[in-house]
Amino acid sequence: MDKILAKKDLSQWLKKLDSYDIYAPQKDEDQWTFSIVENSDAISLDYPNVVVPSKKVIFPQREFLLEFSQSNEKGYQIKEILPEEKSVIILGLRPCEGKAFSLMDRVFGGELKDPYYLKRREATTLISLSCSTPPSPHCFCLSVEGSPHSKEGLDVLLTDIGEKFYVESITEKGNRLIDQAKQVFHEPTSEERKKVEKIKSDAEKKIKREIKGLNNIPAKLKGMFDSPFWDEESMSCIRCGICTFLCPTCHCFDINDEVETSSPMLGKRVRTWDTCQFPDFTMHSSGHNPRPEKASRLRQRINHKFQYFVEVHQKYQCTGCGRCISLCPVGIDIIKVLEKVRDYGA
Amino acid sequence: MVNIQSLKEEARKCLQEGKVKYIIGYEKGADGWKANPAFIKKPEDVEKLIWDPTCFHNLARFLVDEKRRKAKEKQPDTRPVGVVVKGCDSRAVVILLQEKFIERNDVYILGLSCEKAGVVDERKLARKLDGKKPVKIELGEKDNFLVFTDDGKAEIPVREILAERCLECKANFPVISDVLFGEKTKREVLNPFQSIEKMESLAQEDKWNFWKQTLAKCIRCYACRSVCPMCYCDECVSDTINFAVTADTTAEEKAQKIKWLEKSPVLSENIFYNLVRAIHLAGRCIDCGECERACPVNIPLRLLNKKMEKEALKLFGYEAGFDPSQPSLISCFKDEDPQDFIR
Amino acid sequence: MEPNLYLPKLAKITQIKEEVGGARPIKTFRTAFLNGDEFSHRCGQCAMLSAFGKGESMISISSSPLSRDFLQFSILKMGRVTSALHEMEEGAIIGIRGPYGNGFPLEKWKKKNIVFIGGGIGLAPIWSVLQTTLSKKEDYGELSLIYGARTSKDIVFKEELAELGKKMKVLLSIDVAEPDWKEFVGFVPQNVLDKKPSPENSIAITCGPPIMIKFVIKALKDLKFEDEQIYTTVENKMKCGIGKCGRCNIGRHYVCKDGPVYSWAELKNLPQEY
Repeated sequence: MDKILAKKDLSQWLKKLDSYDIYAPQKDEDQWTFSIVENSDAISLDYPNVVVPSKKVIFPQREFLLEFSQSNEKGYQIKEILPEEKSVIILGLRPCEGKAFSLMDRVFGGELKDPYYLKRREATTLISLSCSTPPSPHCFCLSVEGSPHSKEGLDVLLTDIGEKFYVESITEKGNRLIDQAKQVFHEPTSEERKKVEKIKSDAEKKIKREIKGLNNIPAKLKGMFDSPFWDEESMSCIRCGICTFLCPTCHCFDINDEVETSSPMLGKRVRTWDTCQFPDFTMHSSGHNPRPEKASRLRQRINHKFQYFVEVHQKYQCTGCGRCISLCPVGIDIIKVLEKVRDYGA
Repeated sequence: MVNIQSLKEEARKCLQEGKVKYIIGYEKGADGWKANPAFIKKPEDVEKLIWDPTCFHNLARFLVDEKRRKAKEKQPDTRPVGVVVKGCDSRAVVILLQEKFIERNDVYILGLSCEKAGVVDERKLARKLDGKKPVKIELGEKDNFLVFTDDGKAEIPVREILAERCLECKANFPVISDVLFGEKTKREVLNPFQSIEKMESLAQEDKWNFWKQTLAKCIRCYACRSVCPMCYCDECVSDTINFAVTADTTAEEKAQKIKWLEKSPVLSENIFYNLVRAIHLAGRCIDCGECERACPVNIPLRLLNKKMEKEALKLFGYEAGFDPSQPSLISCFKDEDPQDFIR
Repeated sequence: MEPNLYLPKLAKITQIKEEVGGARPIKTFRTAFLNGDEFSHRCGQCAMLSAFGKGESMISISSSPLSRDFLQFSILKMGRVTSALHEMEEGAIIGIRGPYGNGFPLEKWKKKNIVFIGGGIGLAPIWSVLQTTLSKKEDYGELSLIYGARTSKDIVFKEELAELGKKMKVLLSIDVAEPDWKEFVGFVPQNVLDKKPSPENSIAITCGPPIMIKFVIKALKDLKFEDEQIYTTVENKMKCGIGKCGRCNIGRHYVCKDGPVYSWAELKNLPQEY
């Protein structure tokens, strides 16, 4: 269904949704970040983009998996620690992050299910704000089968048409949210619908960066595995974790035991974000490291996103948000790397 | 003014004569307006070299990679590596020499003087341009930066968008070099510790609350450590695995390695990591500001390092990165060092 | 409700046998689940063992699926988790979750000759398939084992190998000559070339240090084994065990989920990053 919501009525809608924890972009000094809304009157969806994507809400940077404890009476015990029962809304995320969730759903779902991610995902409703202008000079969503108004992975899509939002409900979850505040919504007029069409098609034209000819990239990458190309491209990489931690589609993690007391044993098994860009990611206990060089790690990041993931899921593991480009301290640009791959040897 | 043509000529000569393996310099980045580190191997590629107020990076950092690379080669090429350095970067090279991490003949230093300017602070620039995107930035005449945007040009006084560290700069031209471009103009810095004064004036509790709030944002991406030339330890205190593992390392050694901090990005671990890093850099940090610039969540890391720098100066009269023969701060003492903390 | 794949089940160590002492000790552990949580596994599969407080380690199940009362793991002391396991005594409680990965496709090998080629601790992952085929000897062709270690002290399953020699060909080797050693002296790949197993209607399974596997595969190719006839198990650093954390990723595979058993025909098409 599609509706119209006046911007001034946004807080009225949110007040009806007070049983949910609502995450929205809020300004913390000079950075926008997704945090829980205390005062729904203070939300403005007029923001450039967040640095840490909303993946942190459904796939937190740190979460407990289980607790292990030892006692004289009960011996050893393992207690599962699942995410608490809480309905969550993420409001104002960009369509590229919704697409990222649909990619992550394939990783954490499938035959072997990850209950932590899936429980949070099920309990979360995504209300996205489509991009009328690209939030980043490095946006390239159109080149990776995305768009500034993509509905993939989302429940509701808002489009800013001036004083109002055009509201498109995509799933049952989305319908439920709108039904809880029926009275603040209006039916769209045909002018308003036309305006939305124009805003959406204009938004596509405003995206400045693109990569053409990506469809041959998986095969090209396969042939370049042993190429010295990767040594050249990775010369300036300083092997931090920015590109992968802040990528909405990256999902690698580490599992560690954190001990509170060692005798009797009490502690928790904790999962934290990890990155294939750290030198120790693939290091065996013996010291053998399948990816000891920066070159092999840059190759892994590009290959995983544009070859391996495509072979398994027939989709690029990239939504074109441009974060890795704008935040890399040494300016390694994934678009330039892919263009060079595409043209390599030609 | 730095004559970029002279820099290119010198670079070309070094490469043609085979005097250096390659040259680390700056080239124009992919987005067209900011500089990126460049690794020039062929003489004709020296045309890529640039010099402008977006040359933020401390290229001495790549001398660390070069050493690691050489250590793995069976018959390493022992020629030096050419490196383009600003004043602050040259102090990093001095520290690497002082600590005997590299030898003097491992590096051929092409020094560039910032003269009266330096590099811009992107956030200050963004605020000045109010939404407009910069396309190019140059040093103009009369203490102004010329900032070109999509629809025009703005002349902004240097002091208004210069990086904080440049406003407090102690070495606006390289303190060590094999060849120097630009003038050795001394710049007046009235207060080299201005940026920490506001913090110093706060009450103890307010300081602690500030750091608790700020360090809670840390995502432990380790960009600050990765970008710092002085964080070259093969095994850092914050790593939970042994890195320096060989076939002879016993299981006991690996099992007994102390896990100083957990991988979890929670406040206690973040505080440990960031404060320990600041302490390990005391007397070694030369305030290139790269850690703060690289931090994706805008943690004001310079405040920590600058305070350590002030303490080193105040207590021990110690300044880092000017004299390669000076001993390191932590490993030496003088008889007249203050002892009032001993009770 | 689907079971939570990250939750280990509690198990007791019922038996510990010291296979190899010294600087690189190997112990064989037998375990029994506390609460009736037994699972059945296929040869080649692995399980995540928890030393609570230290972490988890993915270890091959070296007992045959036909042994119902226990699971057996042979563990080389290497780092934090394996050291903690080595320090445990019989009766200690650990966690086990699994079984993970694919198994050897035994059903495709009926009536074929099987040559087992192992080096050092690498005998453990193929021990389960060796025991299983041996107990159903009539289903398979000729079974033989070519196994070597650095020194005679590093040989695992010493007593079992002596028993095995009565039922099938067991051809041992050590790297450097020792006074009482009467069998082959040299590296395992050299022993393979020396003994010349025939590729006719045969399958070869090899496991050991990465460098050994590389040269054994080369030796087998020199002896005219086809890529589809050569099998191995791949080892990689693992944390989740179910193909999500990304650590063991090779190409489009996760070794924990899509491996660890690979034929050379499959493995050579993956990036050689293991």
